[in-house]
Amino acid sequence: MRKLFFVIERDLRMFVQYKFLIIMRAIWFVSQVAFFGLIASRMVVPQLADIYFEYYVAGVVVMMLYSASVFIGYDIFEEAEHGVFEYLLSLPVSRKELVLGRSIGGGIRSFILVGPLIAITLFIIGLANPVNFLIAFFSLFLFAFGVSGMSITIAVGLKSADRFDILMGVLNAFIIRLSTTMYPQVFVQEANLAYAKVSEFNPVTFASDLFRWGVGIERYFTMTPMPLAAIIGLVIFFAIFTFVGITIYERRLEGGGWR
Amino acid sequence: MKAVLHIIEYDFRNFFRYKWWLAGLISMNLADLLIMAVVYNKIVNPDLFLGQLKSYFNFFAPGVTVLGLFASAFMIGREVNMEVRREIHHYMLSLPITRLELAVGRLLAGGLRGMMYMTPLLLITFLFLGFPSPSQLLIILGALMLLATGISGLSIAAAVSITSFEKFVTARGLIYYVLFFCSSIFYPSSLIRTLGQDGLIPQPIVVLAELNPLSSGADLIRSFLIGTPIFTLEMIRNLAIFSMIFSTTSTLAYVKIIERK
Repeated sequence: MRKLFFVIERDLRMFVQYKFLIIMRAIWFVSQVAFFGLIASRMVVPQLADIYFEYYVAGVVVMMLYSASVFIGYDIFEEAEHGVFEYLLSLPVSRKELVLGRSIGGGIRSFILVGPLIAITLFIIGLANPVNFLIAFFSLFLFAFGVSGMSITIAVGLKSADRFDILMGVLNAFIIRLSTTMYPQVFVQEANLAYAKVSEFNPVTFASDLFRWGVGIERYFTMTPMPLAAIIGLVIFFAIFTFVGITIYERRLEGGGWR
Repeated sequence: MKAVLHIIEYDFRNFFRYKWWLAGLISMNLADLLIMAVVYNKIVNPDLFLGQLKSYFNFFAPGVTVLGLFASAFMIGREVNMEVRREIHHYMLSLPITRLELAVGRLLAGGLRGMMYMTPLLLITFLFLGFPSPSQLLIILGALMLLATGISGLSIAAAVSITSFEKFVTARGLIYYVLFFCSSIFYPSSLIRTLGQDGLIPQPIVVLAELNPLSSGADLIRSFLIGTPIFTLEMIRNLAIFSMIFSTTSTLAYVKIIERK
């Protein structure tokens, strides 16, 4: 257990190096909220107009959490390129502890990045029920760990930084847009049934709906009963990617399989 | 002239090395158009456009074309920044090419790469919104070339002024987001003006959105394809001024930086 904490601590320390990434993400958040969110909320149909700004801001937080959690995959490529893998393997830490630690470390550091933005969001939206918020907040950890696990799985599976970069870019483009981060499910369904099907089973949708439930935006949920349905979805997502991630990463680590 | 063509060829060869990056970019643009805009069709209040537009998709398609043009034309800055940091420009200086030809070649290559990348997006826009007349097409292409050259100049100017890669990437992010969101790419200029009059958006932002070359580029395509906003010479003027300022600045800055010891 102590060794696991060491792995997590290392990933957290490394994250502090990415101060420019943090600044860039903060600029992105402000632009999304202060420009797009504000103006788009004046463009929408009357039945959505009263809550769209708050709805969108909550979605932006989940988008941020997703993109920050993905970042651990880029670290893995950087380490492979600079020969840090060999160093990590020489440490008295088991492969399982290493992978689980990295997945948890990746998730926690995305929360460090998103934490201040969640505080800003709470300031904008307000907090209707602190207990609901805490349930949602801790469930989002599962989402962050799951996304980190997914990123690690793809990173070690592809073995090419270029391909990883493009795949994550494409995945990001589709997984975010085919979710309820920017718009409620009912409108996605109206627009296109195929999009709605994907959106319904998208972990980003589970996380967005859950976060909105936590901050008291209780209209336009995708699934019922809330929050149980979303939490179950996130637990399944977390379990699959943490398990698969650990198994694949562990296998790739042996015998220089990451090269 | 031949030397400039060689530089353009060199930059085009480099451009195709980023095929993965380009594939990612185009998929993001297509996701914006084919998913986000399609869903926003159902969300955007039809009264907002006072019946002038059939859908948000029709409004957004020219915007996404300009987005693609911006992102691809801006790529030249990343390469120039890398060359300056790794001192590859010493090799460039050893070539039998004048400094000015080198700078102009890079500038034009950046713009032309943007135009090339944007062409499929523009064709998709034409397919959905209808084709313009030949004279309108020429105006659109000319205006977009001005925009692409200006963007290329802006990225080169930023790349040579900021030698640290991290700082360049941060500055690029800032430029991207300010120009993207303070423009009429996602929402009509008239709405931005109204929100400004209502005090919901500060006036400097409204002015920035109106002078933003991305707004002029997107609105110019819209004016010919969907008839709103009305085409004005101001659109061309904005693009010409933007292009002139950044072409000159980047050429001077590039010549100066590659000669620095």
